[in-house]
Amino acid sequence: MRGLVVLLISKAAGPSTADLSFQHDMVSGIYSSQRSLAEITELIHTAFLVHRGIVNIGELKSCDGPLKDMQFGNKMAVLSGDFLLANACTSLAQLQNTKVVELISSAIGDLVQGIYYENSKSSEENCLTDDIGISRWKEQVFLSHSALLAKSCQAAMELAKHSAEIQDMAFQYGKHMSMSHKLHSDLQPFVRESSSDTIAFSLNSAPAILHQEFRGREAWLKQIREAQGKGNIVDYKKLQEAIKAGKGVTSAIDLCRCHGNRALAALERFPPSEARDALANIVYAVTRFP
Amino acid sequence: MCHITQRSSTSSFPKIYSIFWRFHHTSTSHWCSCSKTISDEKYQDPFQLGKKDLKNLYEDIKKELLVSAAELKEMCDYYFDGKGKAFRPMIVVLMARACNIHYNNSKEVQASQRSVAIIAEMIHTASLVHDDVIDDANSRRGKRTLNQIWGERKAVLAGDFILSAASVALARIGNTTIISVLTQVIEDLVRGEFLQLGSKENENERFAHYLEKTFKKTASLIANSCKAVSILGCPDPKVHEIAYQYGKNVGIAFQLIDDVLDFTSCADHLGKPTAADLKLGLATGPVLFACRQFPEMNAMIMRRFSKPGDVERARKYVLQSDGVQQTTYLAQRYCHAATREIRKLRPSPEREALVHLTEMVLMRDK
Repeated sequence: MRGLVVLLISKAAGPSTADLSFQHDMVSGIYSSQRSLAEITELIHTAFLVHRGIVNIGELKSCDGPLKDMQFGNKMAVLSGDFLLANACTSLAQLQNTKVVELISSAIGDLVQGIYYENSKSSEENCLTDDIGISRWKEQVFLSHSALLAKSCQAAMELAKHSAEIQDMAFQYGKHMSMSHKLHSDLQPFVRESSSDTIAFSLNSAPAILHQEFRGREAWLKQIREAQGKGNIVDYKKLQEAIKAGKGVTSAIDLCRCHGNRALAALERFPPSEARDALANIVYAVTRFP
Repeated sequence: MCHITQRSSTSSFPKIYSIFWRFHHTSTSHWCSCSKTISDEKYQDPFQLGKKDLKNLYEDIKKELLVSAAELKEMCDYYFDGKGKAFRPMIVVLMARACNIHYNNSKEVQASQRSVAIIAEMIHTASLVHDDVIDDANSRRGKRTLNQIWGERKAVLAGDFILSAASVALARIGNTTIISVLTQVIEDLVRGEFLQLGSKENENERFAHYLEKTFKKTASLIANSCKAVSILGCPDPKVHEIAYQYGKNVGIAFQLIDDVLDFTSCADHLGKPTAADLKLGLATGPVLFACRQFPEMNAMIMRRFSKPGDVERARKYVLQSDGVQQTTYLAQRYCHAATREIRKLRPSPEREALVHLTEMVLMRDK
């Protein structure tokens, strides 16, 4: 998706008005440098999918399989993630644009910090949920899910020498579209009609965080304790019902639509085109609920 | 000054040397037969000469590592505690000064050149953090490794973060050529690590493979950062090549000595366990030389010292052989090459310090 969005927004912004010298480089409305940028964005995203898969050797139990295999798996994960990142760096250098290098490098830093927050949550044993409000949640999700796309969209504009204003609009589109995309996927366990089986959800997903804000931390922790049966196994079905009964789900939907609208507003600054329509359709798709 | 016995070298060297010289020194004309390493000129202590440029080096690195999460910040800062040798930044600032003087007798280090020194140390540290995860290492520089304390997941992220901060700093220099030169290092580091995974059947290929790995994993960083500061300091491509060749030769020598120390030094002194390479299944210079004297080591190399007792036996063979001396001798020759390169620059105290530094590389014991 990320690569596609970078290509679409490049096409929507059209040729550079500032510099006519490199227009021969354009194929079907997209500069070759923007095409490379789309690849770089995908490479970085994939590298971190791989690095997310690394396990802590010290925490493994004997049922997890032979230690040697896990060590080898870690080794391969570190190496292949690094390999993808190194390739991304090489392609980035070839773009010959220091501002783009800076933007994308800082996006890598953002992504690392975002993943770091995800990790530190899952490692805290005694605490199932974080004591964070929705604004803190938004900051963290921006780092882990939006920064790369937002900055890649901005960089795509920089490569075509578009104005600072267009660069900012591209950034805003990338940011808000991916925020509403994340909210949309967080909401799925709560809005799906066929509720024969409970879809697993995270206690740090948007509806749960909003639910906690409405009910207060103490009341929410009490609900969690009540849902905890023998051996501390949480009855997610029960918690899901508790969240559904409150205002968490509807306000998460509102938030999703709010980000969607901001993404659409950013698109207004681009001239009408098929590419722009496609970008708008992505927003409609991630803000639609049954 | 260390004295290297060259007794038995003549018989075994020519063949194997011809191979790696072809590999690494395609343009090198000839070698002078003298092994004189000390000239009459007065030496400068490189570490004294570069000291003022490197003042606050670690503080400045920590400033580049902007993180909001306290624990991640602590992890990123962990190795920048000022206890490292700062060997790479030292070479880089001395090279910067030597090139600046060579070009227009400028006595100043440019801010961008100092940034290169910082970036070099950051890239180096990021790669150490990942290497320790890959090798499952427990200690480094006398401290526990990041992965030991915080676990592998977070350690890998800390390494990634340091790298991203280095690349932001690199972009801020604002020179696309410098970006390309230093990005090459990142690519070489990863490719070097992949080379380390494989072993070669053929003895000669094995040596070339070892030297290629050594170049990519260690020398490329030094060579390319030297090249970067020379580009910033002087427009002459000949000077860039001198800086690159100096860095490459010193870098390879540095790693060869590192591989020797893995056999000769004791763990406490080194700050990390000894015979570490053998335990990882790696055959470094001393082993490859020893194997020429004790062909029974071949089988062990091929199975990457995986059978019980292999590591101890291989270690014994190496110490019985002249593998250590030959590797040291080889390092010495790389240092000669480095010295010859740097002497092409206009004389300066910094240039002499870089010459002196090649000797320190050979004499270091940790």
